[in-house]
Amino acid sequence: MNSKSAVVFGFNEYAKQIALQIASEYDSFAVFVRNEAEQTAARAAGFNAELFDLSEDWKLIEERFDTDNLMVFCALDNDAENVFLTISLRSIFEELPIIALAGDHESAAKMKSAGANKVMPILQITANVITEMLEKPTVTEVLHDILYEQSFLKIAQIVVPEGSFIVGKHLHDIDLGEEFDVLVLAIVDHEMAATFSFTSRGHNHHIDPEDILVVIGYEDNISALSEALGAHK
Amino acid sequence: MIGRLIVGIAFYLQGSARYRHVKKFFHNLLENPTYPYKKFFDYVMMAFIVMSVYILVRHVKHEVSQDWLFFNNYIISFVFLMEYLLRLWVYSDNSKAIIEQYEHDIFLQRPFGWMGAMHRIVMIKMGFIFSPAAIIDLLAIMPFFHEMRLLRVFILFRVFKLFRYAKSLTQFVSILASKKFEIFTLGVFASVIITVSSVLIYVMEANNPESRINTLFDAFYWSVVTIFTVGYGDFVPVTDEGRVVAMVIIVAGIAVISFATSIVVSAFTEKLDEIKEDKLIDDVSKIDQFYLICGYGPLAYQVAHRFIKNGKQVVIVDNNHEKISEAQKEGFLALTYDPSSLHSYHMLRIDFESQVIAAILLQESDVLNVYTALTIREMTKKVPLLSILLHHENRRKLTLAGIDEVVYTQELIGLMSKEVSGRPVAFEVIHALRSENSGVFIEEIILDKIMAERFFDMGKLPLFHKRLIILGVYKQTSQSFFFNPSSSLMVAAGDVAIVVGTRSLIDEFKVLIRTKGRR
Repeated sequence: MNSKSAVVFGFNEYAKQIALQIASEYDSFAVFVRNEAEQTAARAAGFNAELFDLSEDWKLIEERFDTDNLMVFCALDNDAENVFLTISLRSIFEELPIIALAGDHESAAKMKSAGANKVMPILQITANVITEMLEKPTVTEVLHDILYEQSFLKIAQIVVPEGSFIVGKHLHDIDLGEEFDVLVLAIVDHEMAATFSFTSRGHNHHIDPEDILVVIGYEDNISALSEALGAHK
Repeated sequence: MIGRLIVGIAFYLQGSARYRHVKKFFHNLLENPTYPYKKFFDYVMMAFIVMSVYILVRHVKHEVSQDWLFFNNYIISFVFLMEYLLRLWVYSDNSKAIIEQYEHDIFLQRPFGWMGAMHRIVMIKMGFIFSPAAIIDLLAIMPFFHEMRLLRVFILFRVFKLFRYAKSLTQFVSILASKKFEIFTLGVFASVIITVSSVLIYVMEANNPESRINTLFDAFYWSVVTIFTVGYGDFVPVTDEGRVVAMVIIVAGIAVISFATSIVVSAFTEKLDEIKEDKLIDDVSKIDQFYLICGYGPLAYQVAHRFIKNGKQVVIVDNNHEKISEAQKEGFLALTYDPSSLHSYHMLRIDFESQVIAAILLQESDVLNVYTALTIREMTKKVPLLSILLHHENRRKLTLAGIDEVVYTQELIGLMSKEVSGRPVAFEVIHALRSENSGVFIEEIILDKIMAERFFDMGKLPLFHKRLIILGVYKQTSQSFFFNPSSSLMVAAGDVAIVVGTRSLIDEFKVLIRTKGRR
């Protein structure tokens, strides 16, 4: 899902923060809003802002972006409208990666049914973060550094290429921790691409080409491992 | 001369830390319901009362040994006497009253009127002596004079003393007291009916040889038995006039009973919320440690739910009654109090430093959260404070108000969006670990001396090999994180290990590193 273009729908505080974080990661980026006030606000924040309405046939998107390389964030204020937006986009673009915000679990399930690839339930995420900050302060700090800060420790996903030295081996037979100072947290079996399994579950996974390893390690070590595997990150 | 002596003693007592300490101890023991040892004192006193009544009942038809009688008549009575005197002592502060009077007189440049001071003291103490509870206390000591057989019945006053020690009984009395006017009206009504009907029935029946109602007392007894709808039937009117009086009093009796019932029921209904709240406050004061959530809404529900799932206790405070009812319906311990008011916390008797693990401010406005933070900070500097931030421009204000951790959801979602668009699988993995729904957990283990010594040895056991990921160790001394540590890393007490694994494996690991000598 390394899309080159991205679109954020809506310009509330959530959408604004998403736009601020991701705009620089994409070659082309735009904010789609429903009224002129939002358009003015988005433009004032330095974003390319377009107007849309929910009855759109999305010619606008097809004309402006290569939909094969586009990622969409649905962040409208209202959950019902967000679901409608998701289902309307999905009805036109079957393969479009859609990430949607949802108020809670209930709306999240509806977003999933409407065809969103990934849903972020705001309430649950906030509650998880609050409890984690108080119950596991060190975990929170370390994960925050790994995920969001410019620390040398990174989390990465590496696709195992055809012919790599680990293909055909079992997960328990290889020790990437010892050899590369990299820990494998989880693995995605290419045959069951939608799900991942934690290595801690104890399954002795048979590694096939195209499997994805989710690893944590220092940037240099992850690069060294990728190189040794002959993989692309 | 006497005045100087009295003032001297008063100043001495006022300045004596030991005297104040002893007096405070007895005050807490006798009068302070939040004092932890009061309940033991109350239990002992209740046991004395039960024993005393048992001896009285037993003594009616059986021989009771002299030792028990001595115990009942002297020991218990002596304990009650001491209790009475102590209550009289702690009821007011005499030395303070004398000093106030002395300073007042000095200020007005006139000689110290010790008589006036004594008079004031006596008047204050009279307030105690003539209070209903103190009168019962005094009557309960009466069996001390056991030689007077009639006085033995005063032992029953000891039962009334139970009101002092059992909170539910006190509550019952206070509920009825709230309906004083209604009860008084009912009493007047019933008295008038009883008096009139007693006189009437006496006039109608006393001269009739067939009637058993011969005296005014018989007539009074018959009226009381009839008006309260008991009607034993040992006295019955035989004349037509008497029967007419009976019919009137029976109808009046129904009115009296229904009026009495409705008074009691309405008193309880009106006080039900108060009783429930008292019970909740009691419950809160009994919890050793809890998270205090200020402000209830969907986010607070999620947070409280997660804490409870993790085995933690949560107390929710909000000044919106509807929100609190909602929280209570969800099964949370929730109270309608204003989280930003000092008075609320005094009423709730929350001891921040020993009971509250952290206060979480989830009200729907940054203004309210700042105000609440300042209220809590006024009481304690130690309790960790976490607040949500609704408008990023207010972040600094929250920090200045003493909030330790600020959660700005919008920014968090922005950061996560970046992650989810760039590394979706990695994001999923971290999200699954955090949400604790996947069966695999990320946990921190705070190491003590023994755990630090055994940490790496245990990690190498085949049981944990490849299944328990030791992500790293956070070293307190250097404030730095050591990723994928090798056994050469010096781990010390206070360091924090971060591990990833299933719940059972992490628990087993914790047990093994904690248990000295087990391998």
